[in-house]
Amino acid sequence: MRCRGDSGQVAGIEALPFGVLIFVVGALLVTNVWGVIDAKLAATSAAREAARAFVEAPDAVTAADSAARAASEAIAAHGRSPDRLVLDQLAGTFARCERVTFQAGYPVPAIALPWIGGLGEAFTATARHSELVDPFRSGLEGTASCVP
Amino acid sequence: MSREPKYKEQGSVLMLMPAAVLIVLLLGSIAVDFSIVFMAERELVSAAAAAANDAATAGVDQEVLRTTGNFVLDPAAVERVVGESLAARDSRLLDGADWDVAVVGNQVRVTVVSRAPYLFAKAIPGAADDAEVSATASADAAVR
Repeated sequence: MRCRGDSGQVAGIEALPFGVLIFVVGALLVTNVWGVIDAKLAATSAAREAARAFVEAPDAVTAADSAARAASEAIAAHGRSPDRLVLDQLAGTFARCERVTFQAGYPVPAIALPWIGGLGEAFTATARHSELVDPFRSGLEGTASCVP
Repeated sequence: MSREPKYKEQGSVLMLMPAAVLIVLLLGSIAVDFSIVFMAERELVSAAAAAANDAATAGVDQEVLRTTGNFVLDPAAVERVVGESLAARDSRLLDGADWDVAVVGNQVRVTVVSRAPYLFAKAIPGAADDAEVSATASADAAVR
């Protein structure tokens, strides 16, 4: 004995898998885009802090270490792992009027799941920041002659 | 004594669920698009601040400084330094950006205006494809 008939079931049942697909894929897309934005903000902050720390370092010996430490602290402050940060010094040396450019990269997982973490690696969020070593700063040799 | 409703509600969830999902996705898309604009503003602020900071010292008129000891900014040098600073970022957001420099006394004020492209709003007919973002930063030199 059947309590209810099946009439109408076929007409609507295909909506369920499509609805689930749209919901799951759509939710993953939105959260992943947000993950990219968050990683970009973190990378921007890391690149900026690295460049600032480099140009304000007391001497050339500690400048690179200061930049790396500042970038790690900045990325950690965003709740991300400093071990995954890739920091490159693209240009510049520790001298008056030198333009120093740092690029920070942070890998963005393909799928980010709560409590479990990121799975896979979609691409890397990068940011670049450049600063001039102050032409009139103390502790450096040479003259302030950056303006031709 | 209970009365049977005139119209039963069986199957109405099939209509409500897609609408609810679409609303959730739409709200998520709006949040992402606004976040992109916010991120672009942050990037412009960072670029403007770095450019102003560089120009506040590198844009000094060296001849006046060497001969008189006065710290006077050279507007042409300031503009050149700001241009170099923005170009060094190699950012797509700054490629077509309009920027302006004002020198007031020993202070450099940099204003950058650009357009941040939306991601999801492009799919909506009639909606704007991008949003105007701007940032202003100023810096002046100080003896430490």
